[in-house]
Amino acid sequence: MALEGTLQDMSLSDLFQVFRMGPKTGVLILVSTAERGVIYVADGKVVDAVLAGGPDRRVQATQEEAVIQMLLWDNASFVFRHDPSVMSRPPRITHDSEWLVMEGVRRRDDPARAMPYHSITLDTMLQLSSLPSSAESGVSLDVNQWRILSQISRNTDVRTICEATGLPPDQTIRTVAELLAIGLIEVVIPSALPPRPKTPPKSHHDHVVSVTPAAHLTPELAAAAVVGVGAGDERPQVGRGLLDAIMRRIRGL
Amino acid sequence: MQALKIVITGSYAAGKTQLIRTISDIDTISTDYEVTLDEERQLKRETTVALDFGTIAINDQVTLYLFGTPGQERFDFMWEHLTVGCLGYVVMVDSTRPGHFAETQRLMSRFIEITDAPFIVAANKQDDEAALPVSYVRRRLGVPLEIPVLPCVATDRPSVKGVLLGLLKHIATQNQMNQEQSA
Repeated sequence: MALEGTLQDMSLSDLFQVFRMGPKTGVLILVSTAERGVIYVADGKVVDAVLAGGPDRRVQATQEEAVIQMLLWDNASFVFRHDPSVMSRPPRITHDSEWLVMEGVRRRDDPARAMPYHSITLDTMLQLSSLPSSAESGVSLDVNQWRILSQISRNTDVRTICEATGLPPDQTIRTVAELLAIGLIEVVIPSALPPRPKTPPKSHHDHVVSVTPAAHLTPELAAAAVVGVGAGDERPQVGRGLLDAIMRRIRGL
Repeated sequence: MQALKIVITGSYAAGKTQLIRTISDIDTISTDYEVTLDEERQLKRETTVALDFGTIAINDQVTLYLFGTPGQERFDFMWEHLTVGCLGYVVMVDSTRPGHFAETQRLMSRFIEITDAPFIVAANKQDDEAALPVSYVRRRLGVPLEIPVLPCVATDRPSVKGVLLGLLKHIATQNQMNQEQSA
């Protein structure tokens, strides 16, 4: 038995909320047209994730990045199965699900940050992010990340950066993806391209609690709750004594 | 002999037939037929076209009848007939299929148009570790706090008893409120 549906029935942020409320332990499998993702949940916490795609089911992202990319999906089918063995899985995601949801919202609002790893090519144009200097000072980078970062102000496309640093293209692309994920650089969207449709910004509250009772409460339902049954002519009037007798009988079954 | 009626409704494959089978004194009289649509077949091999029917003998004079409605909306012409003279009804919802919630909301709205009988919601399959919690089911369906939403396992007799008792208590409360209002 499992919890099944589509992201149109229930968003991923809603699912995370349900996992926390449970708290649930198990494996969430999401399947979109071209990709397949797996999110591991232990005691309500998202502890690991992997995203694969393409004909050879190549791994495209893992951990936080995989979850964030799945949060950008508008539609996919999902199945959540209870699996206590996930409790023994070592946690590889350090951020909580609320942070992941917020990061997903941020990516959705900023197309440059939503550029998936496999979409970066040698022709991708890059620029430094307009971060305050205080934000950069706290970031720890490895040598190759520094080498590429230092080139970006002078050479804007990945091909030129490869040539300048002498790094192989695949390693350069991987490192560029890491810098994008950190937020130090961003992809330049060519102005000739039509702008990507933006989803209106949502507050965190909107994402976690996407359905309010008021939104779904029909006037009839509300009236039924307040007024109760009324006195329908066709409905038999059953006295309290008979109701008690029925309840006693059912209790005794 | 007095006959009283409770209707068990809900969207397709919500567990209505199972609930009646679990609690009925008699072997349930069911009019299930093989389903015709592929997407329905994935959920359930047979479907209730007309009705399920079970009984609980209260005493020598009174029998409680349980009627299950056909789940698919294309059979909704049956609902009106089934609700005539019912004490109240149970709206069943599968807690593991959020995709059915919108249909359940439509069904609840339709039933409120058809009958003024009191009702409760039974969140079925609560024994499934992956099931959505009752509080979430209530919120997603937009059920006001005044209407009980009870956990249910349609295959488990004590759980089904709890649902029926919940409905009867709700009926008693509503009757009392009506009496107070008319007084």
